[in-house]
Amino acid sequence: MRRSVFSSVVSYAKDVIWGMRSIFKSCLTAIPYLSGKHDLTKEVTEQYPDPISSKTPDDLPPRSRGMLNNDIERCSGCRDCEAYCPVTCIRVEAEPATDETQIWVSIFDIDFSKCMFCGICTEVCAPGSLRHTRIYGGASPRLSDMVASFGRGPVTETQRAKWAERRKQIEDEKVRLI
Amino acid sequence: MNAFLWVSSWLEGFGLEQVESIWILAPLGLIFIFLFIIVPSSMIVAYLDRKVTADFQARVGPNRAGPAGVFQSWADFFKLLQKDRNSEVSWSEELWLAIHTMALYSTVAVLPLGSLMLLVDTDMSVFLPFWAALVVALGTMLLGLSQKTVAGWYGGIRVATQAISGAFPALVAMICVGLRAGSFRWSGLVAIQGAAPLSWTAFSNPFQFIALIVFLVSGLVLLAIPPMDAALSSPDVSGGVAAHLSGRRLVLFKMGRFYSFYLWAVIASVLFLGGWKLPFEISENLLEQGKIQLLHFLELCCLMTKSLILILLVIWGARVNPRTRVDQITDFAWTVLSPFALFALIGASLVAGWGVLS
Amino acid sequence: MSSREILKTELAKLALGPFDSALPGPLRLQMELDGEVIVSAKVETGFIHRGLEKAFERQRWIASISYADRLDPDGPIFGELALCLAVEEIAQLTVPPRAEQVRVLLSELGRISCHMEYLVRVARAVGSDTMIHYVLRDREKILDLFELTTGARYSINFLRFGGIQADITEGFIERILELSELFRIRVKEYNDLFTYNHAFIQRTQGVGTLSSKRVRELGVTGPNARAAGFSADIRKIHPYSGYDKIDFEVPVADLRGLRSGDANDRFLLRLREIAVSTEILRQVAENISDGAFCSRKQGQEIKVPAGEAYVRVESARGLLGCHVAADGGPMPARIQFRTPSHAHLAAIPELLSGTRLEDLPVVLSSLGLGVAEADR
Repeated sequence: MRRSVFSSVVSYAKDVIWGMRSIFKSCLTAIPYLSGKHDLTKEVTEQYPDPISSKTPDDLPPRSRGMLNNDIERCSGCRDCEAYCPVTCIRVEAEPATDETQIWVSIFDIDFSKCMFCGICTEVCAPGSLRHTRIYGGASPRLSDMVASFGRGPVTETQRAKWAERRKQIEDEKVRLI
Repeated sequence: MNAFLWVSSWLEGFGLEQVESIWILAPLGLIFIFLFIIVPSSMIVAYLDRKVTADFQARVGPNRAGPAGVFQSWADFFKLLQKDRNSEVSWSEELWLAIHTMALYSTVAVLPLGSLMLLVDTDMSVFLPFWAALVVALGTMLLGLSQKTVAGWYGGIRVATQAISGAFPALVAMICVGLRAGSFRWSGLVAIQGAAPLSWTAFSNPFQFIALIVFLVSGLVLLAIPPMDAALSSPDVSGGVAAHLSGRRLVLFKMGRFYSFYLWAVIASVLFLGGWKLPFEISENLLEQGKIQLLHFLELCCLMTKSLILILLVIWGARVNPRTRVDQITDFAWTVLSPFALFALIGASLVAGWGVLS
Repeated sequence: MSSREILKTELAKLALGPFDSALPGPLRLQMELDGEVIVSAKVETGFIHRGLEKAFERQRWIASISYADRLDPDGPIFGELALCLAVEEIAQLTVPPRAEQVRVLLSELGRISCHMEYLVRVARAVGSDTMIHYVLRDREKILDLFELTTGARYSINFLRFGGIQADITEGFIERILELSELFRIRVKEYNDLFTYNHAFIQRTQGVGTLSSKRVRELGVTGPNARAAGFSADIRKIHPYSGYDKIDFEVPVADLRGLRSGDANDRFLLRLREIAVSTEILRQVAENISDGAFCSRKQGQEIKVPAGEAYVRVESARGLLGCHVAADGGPMPARIQFRTPSHAHLAAIPELLSGTRLEDLPVVLSSLGLGVAEADR
């Protein structure tokens, strides 16, 4: 089907005008971002390490998952977090202290270079000692800095022997009471 | 008439002897223009480009180097100068980069910067930058072809195809202005225009306005300036010819890109937007009082402001609109720009003929 | 490139990738070029194969959810949802209605955010900086919502077998309603800025045309299939998680007019899906029911009996299937995913042959590929 010259000229002109209009309209869309009237002029960039940033750890939502913190006083050394951690970034070593109820958590290391902040360890933590903090700036140039240690430290042989003796004493006392 | 006599007036200002030999004045003048006009304005435009773009996009933009980041482009410039080259550069690459750069900066000699700062003002001076642009495109293409990378090959070929298709409408739009002025001298082209916008060539009749639009857009096509820069920054060639350049060569290339854009804006404002004309007969008064340097400065400011506004308008369009594909750019240049340029030429000649007859 | 005469040149070979700004992810394309026109293309994948399906077998049931997040980092909720639905089917767990509704809210939010990522990719492919930043700015609001309720922006790890991890936080529903109002304004802005732009339409129309017949043969699903006129949506065919109670219409491109299943159609269909998802969000948020959020106690070891289940969900990219086999142990015996992007990868060679090299980023981005999802 051949169109007449006139109609093809008209459709050509229409095309050109439509193209110019659409491009001009696109340009106009960006104008409210320059004038001060709208809310749009506000910059959305968060200038993260600068103090001028509007976001501080306090502004984070309540469930925000930051670096993990373990309250070692409440930690029972049950090793559930170690077992459930999908990336095996938690290492716990615990041994019985004075009595069965008291556990000496000698090592509680969280390797943040492996951690993926899924929050499963806090969910399975029965005493509720392992919690996410709101601290998010944990970057470090050295890999060794990424390991956070919450443990009470290693136990010496003499201490271990002492505890064993004390436990035995308590055991004996229980037997005697019965 | 010595084109470089204006340099001596500045040299006197620095307490130097009256120098009249052209072989000293000409290089001094070119170096002066390059160092004190082209480099600073490229820095200003690079900064404004980033800052205005950031404003459009609700971002902050450069804010580290200097107050509000004004020295950012200088920082980038010096950083790139310090960088080492990243790979072996073949001699053909060096050669074509040099030819490309020489072609580009040869136009400094014909750059119109004011009524007294006219360097080469001949009957053909309008066409010299135009031919230079074509040589630059050719140089860029051969630079790309000598790079032996996919980005270089495709980028180079695309630059050349674009330039060929953009040249015709640009040429026709230039002729439109020449028709009205009756001359292709810079001085003649500006002489027929006034300081007030209504007496500018672009607004003298609708055909000249169409010619202005065609001239601007075809300049983008000819020199591969955004948004018509598919040859250089579309993601599939990732940088085009510039992808293989680094350090000082990249500075040279980028400065060249900017300079061609700047050249085009200056020429457009001289041809269509009144050039350096100052209102209220300021130039005549200053000439009478002999304040030549002040006159130079004011005229330059007038011209630079117009060019800067043009550049910002182009940046505005470029940041908002998507990049056009190369075959669409060439199609656009042949099927839209060229017919409109010819239409403007016919209209402009009718108007000129009417003026002669009546 | 249909009718116009093209100058024939000697074929050139070009290997693009695995890392290139034109590609949506780590892929490698082995192409033969005739000048600027691609004659044939071969896709190589596997550059971000993480052994995800094998990794599931080493995790306990609870921890496997956080791996399902990683199936598709752009839309983490869909992998989780598929896994949870499958395990719930095996273990015969019931999900309280409130949890179902929150799941719908989260997956529609995830769909919008994934589609916005898509808009960004297309805008980047055609080189429109401003559009990129506007869309990213608005997507940030969705990520903020994710953070508000789940505590994380990307890998949310919020769904649990039998419900969700915790009840939604205060202000979540209000902000969803606000957001659905906001998106109505924003989508108009995107249209003015980008969708109706002549240069954009020129770039995408007639590029990468996928016919309805080929959609069926290649197994392409989701928005890409619907943009080719192939109406299929798991949310309608096999409603899950209470989608049958929601009144919504799945947008399908009408191919009677100028539409042909090209890149522009795929883009427009995503925009329409954003509108539909906004509508779903509004409906669910207004009628959210009270009650428990999980049928199980949190942090409790789950006993999954031996059995198998296969469920399908409609992810933002298409049909996402999850096949779970359990042997009664503490860990899954086998979890397998059928990912939509894998089918989309199969469509690349024929979409690319005949297009120009410059359209390659447009075609690839218009498919909305999740390479992480395809490689697993």
